[in-house]
Amino acid sequence: MLYEQHKAEIDGILARYPVDRKRSALLPLLYLAQDVYGRLNRDSIREVAEILDLPYTDVFEVVGFYTLFYNEDVGKIVLDVCDDVPCCFCGAEELVADLENRLGIKAGETTKDKVFTLRRVKCIAACDQAPVLQANLEFHNRVLPDKVEAMLTKLRNDVEAGKPVSISGRLAER
Amino acid sequence: MPDMVTLTIDGQTVSVPKGTLVVEAARQVENLIPVFCYHPKMAPVGMCRMCVVKVGTPKMDPATRQPVVDADGKSVIAMMPRLQTACTTPVSEGMVVVTQDSEVEHAQRGVLEALLTSHPLDCPVCDKGGECPLQNLTMGWGPGKTRFDYNDKVHFEKPVPLGDLIYLDRERCILCARCVRFQDEIAGDPVLGFYNRGRAWHIISQSDPEFDSKFSGNTTDICPVGALTSADFRFKARVWELQPIPTVCNHCSVGCNMTFDTRSNDIKRVMPRENDAVNEIWLCDRGRFGHHFNTSKQRLTTPLVRKAGKLQEATWEEALSIVAQQLDGIRSTTGGKAIGGLAGTSLANEDLYAFQRFFRETLGSANIDHRSGSALDLPLDDAGAQYGIRSGTDLSTLGKGTVVLVFGADPEEEAPVHLLRIRGINTRGGSVITLNGRPTKLDSIAKHALRYKYGSESAILAALLKPLLDSTPADGKRATLRGFNDLVAALKGFNLDEQASGISADKLNTVAELINSAENLVIFYGRDALTAGASVPAGLANLLVMTRKAGATNSGLISLLKGANARGALDLGVRPDRGPNYAALSNAGLDAKQMLSAAREGKLKALYVAGVDPVGDNPAAAESLKKLGLLVVQELFLTETAKLADVVLPVLSVAEREGTYTNAERRVQRFRQAIRPTINARPDWQILQALANQLVSEAVLSAAGGDKSRKQTRREEDKARVRSEWTYASPAEILMDIQANVAGYKGVSYASLQGPTGQWGRQANENYYFDGTSYQNTGGLGVQLPAAVETSSIQTLQPFSVSTPASVADRPWTLVGATFLYDDGALLTDTDLLNNRKAKAVVALNPVDADKLGVKNGERVTVSSGRGSLSLPVHRTKLAPEGVVVVPVGVNNVGLVSVVEGGATPVAIRREA
Ligand code: SF4
Ligand code: SF4
Ligand code: FES
Ligand code: FES
Repeated sequence: MLYEQHKAEIDGILARYPVDRKRSALLPLLYLAQDVYGRLNRDSIREVAEILDLPYTDVFEVVGFYTLFYNEDVGKIVLDVCDDVPCCFCGAEELVADLENRLGIKAGETTKDKVFTLRRVKCIAACDQAPVLQANLEFHNRVLPDKVEAMLTKLRNDVEAGKPVSISGRLAER
Repeated sequence: MPDMVTLTIDGQTVSVPKGTLVVEAARQVENLIPVFCYHPKMAPVGMCRMCVVKVGTPKMDPATRQPVVDADGKSVIAMMPRLQTACTTPVSEGMVVVTQDSEVEHAQRGVLEALLTSHPLDCPVCDKGGECPLQNLTMGWGPGKTRFDYNDKVHFEKPVPLGDLIYLDRERCILCARCVRFQDEIAGDPVLGFYNRGRAWHIISQSDPEFDSKFSGNTTDICPVGALTSADFRFKARVWELQPIPTVCNHCSVGCNMTFDTRSNDIKRVMPRENDAVNEIWLCDRGRFGHHFNTSKQRLTTPLVRKAGKLQEATWEEALSIVAQQLDGIRSTTGGKAIGGLAGTSLANEDLYAFQRFFRETLGSANIDHRSGSALDLPLDDAGAQYGIRSGTDLSTLGKGTVVLVFGADPEEEAPVHLLRIRGINTRGGSVITLNGRPTKLDSIAKHALRYKYGSESAILAALLKPLLDSTPADGKRATLRGFNDLVAALKGFNLDEQASGISADKLNTVAELINSAENLVIFYGRDALTAGASVPAGLANLLVMTRKAGATNSGLISLLKGANARGALDLGVRPDRGPNYAALSNAGLDAKQMLSAAREGKLKALYVAGVDPVGDNPAAAESLKKLGLLVVQELFLTETAKLADVVLPVLSVAEREGTYTNAERRVQRFRQAIRPTINARPDWQILQALANQLVSEAVLSAAGGDKSRKQTRREEDKARVRSEWTYASPAEILMDIQANVAGYKGVSYASLQGPTGQWGRQANENYYFDGTSYQNTGGLGVQLPAAVETSSIQTLQPFSVSTPASVADRPWTLVGATFLYDDGALLTDTDLLNNRKAKAVVALNPVDADKLGVKNGERVTVSSGRGSLSLPVHRTKLAPEGVVVVPVGVNNVGLVSVVEGGATPVAIRREA
């Protein structure tokens, strides 16, 4: 169904690669599947494998390898907070605690309304902007305590307003 | 001689071919660098770091590009700054390798300490215990102590099934990827993979069904720990209690070498036995797990004799004398021609030889066959022996320069380990060409994967032969080719109908060129080819002749016949038209089909059936058999045929006796007795010998009464035919008789079959080197018989003609009966583990065709030919090309046998309401 529903986009992705290298389209297709289904479960992974004529196991391997492919339910917006050393010096732990507090969840969990998932990640290569987090791959730099409230409100409003969000960062990409 | 490179390893000088890896070079001087992920049958990956060593190379002067020498004139060695993995580092001239010093030791201890941090203390309950590289390397190289907190161990749910056959214990896995690489590289079934990362890294299989491969059992052998264990062997025995008995797989014509590992007179597991020329170190899952028939409770345990309409237990004396008396009666009234004999392809050479002797000499009958008389029988294949792969060929060494042509065969289903060997040739640089009527797994690696339309096989071969013929100079060379002019005549005016054959002439020209320029040409052909008419094997043989490869080194035909010893049966004359060694007979007897019709007409009075099941193969045969005066069945099981018998004689299985088989490559191999029989059964040859001897004396007896002069002549005749009393004390003595009387088997004896042992050197004391499992071959490598063409100076082209099947207007589809590895054959009795993998009783139909007919998966269709019809549910699959429907052979209740006419059959298909 993925193919039928997103034919134009998928054909566009496939067209970027030679026909005999279809497997190159794996990551973009997984992003798409993840956005459409909200996560990558067994069925959606198999769908992607079939579009690309890949062995199922190969596609599962890729999904398992990358932390940005979610094999369990996540919210509309995934907040990946860096808790690596430089960020920690600049208040990452306080940021995580603050977010846990405001969202009422622990890191690794999803809010009841399924809007936010909070996760700890390692260095995301923006140490000069520490503390940093990514909301669906969109960077939020220097997230100091005074910015947190506004950021969350804006993100929540976007979701409520039906603005297209992409947990895979697929839309951010453009 | 390839370029040699000289290096020193721990001060020892060694010369090895260029490209050799340090780990292999070290092994040549018995320096066993410990490894986990490295496996000599697979490309190195350097994943585990167990094999680290110090490596130095001669220092070069950048200006002169010459080695720098010290005051003594010796090369200055520049040591690499870090330890190197010996399994990924190729040797180079002047290299210096240090495998033992404190730095290396420190690293090795570190690797083992790290591996053990997440390894459970399972050894006492682990199936690998006792043959486990991790145990062995820990003893040899491991740290005595760990700094790791036991409570920090990673825990996974204890074993999870990977499909029906294999269990995975992720805690035990050391992530060496041997299993993944085996599946990807060697088996070509990429069904295993890694999931997640870091300490959560683990093996998964997400194929459908899980671990969907016919070779999965091999991963339990090469896994260097007890992470992968087989459902069959789990918790069955401790390995050090097992006694490995050398045997040969009797499930297909590859003839894989293996051992029955026994304890307390029971087969606990089957392991491969290394033989590079046959199976290297691999087995397919049918061979590995299909041993339960040997110990099945369903086996016949005692002779049965029909009394008052019912089969009742009897003594051997009683049963044998009934058979002898009745056979003698028929023999003296109607003569041997009223007696027929079928002896199957699972019988040993010794049995088969005794069988034909019994018929030809004792009974004076030429009615002998090894087939069951059904429409699915394969034609008698002589090309595979005449033009067979040259003796001395070792497929495991072939690569660059070799072309493998797979014509009308699906090695994966018909002879699985051949698939691995063909893939190996491809990996080593050879080319594979598949020419089939339907897709097979080999297509994915084939240089040319061509799909012909069923019926056009001979036309395809003609198109391949034609350019070869045209390019053969009209000089003296032609004169050495017998049959050249006939072939020219047969191909005169031939033009390929591309539409009808499905392949373009250009493509076939390219293929012809490729096989013509190949150094070695190996041609596999199977059921599809064998059933496509005599011109197909003949055409394949002609390809060899026309490319000057008939009888040439590393070239020839490999015919994938059904049954482990089909070649033996053909070689030894268990057939109506030829005697042992393909000797022409003045009077041919009846073949199996003719015997059944003769029985129906009352002309055949007695049928003696050993290891064949005519009724099981074709229920309609029962009608014929019921007309017989005497039906004797010599069997393992109470088959459908045995149920109709007057006398049933139970036989010992391959595990309970000795014997030899001849495989598709004409290698004669010996199997040993692994377990003591616990039933009142006898080996086939012994039964035949007892009967033969009784019949000699019976002949004398029955000559006593009645018309004296007539009886007297008969007696004289019998005497002349019957050489003497049979006095074989063992199958070894029959083989001596075979080698004395069957030219092709010259030099084959139990002593020669014992042959050289061991190849890439897995010695018992070296087990820990590559893995824990001993593949050591103490049972011999067998003897490969020469093909007829090797010994003749004149090359003969076989009679060949192009046939175009007439299309039948109201039967536009083609029905193909296909062999599947997991069928309902008796040899899989009690191997319930494989039940889910068995071929289903369905019609495979291309989705496009299914849509045309408007049938969904599982809906029934009627398939009818000129002979009859069958009704089966549909399975939509691309494995059936458009226009073709595939139905499995050897699966119960498919009704295929009453529909097919020879090979591919024109049929009509109707959707059932
Ligand atoms: S299961 Fe065995 S062979 Fe496979 S990666 Fe783990 S340890 Fe290696
Ligand atoms: S390939 Fe054939 S001979 Fe080898 S193990 Fe499998 S069934 Fe037995
Ligand atoms: S440490 Fe946080 S972005 Fe690098
Ligand atoms: S890294 Fe060489 S054996 Fe594993």
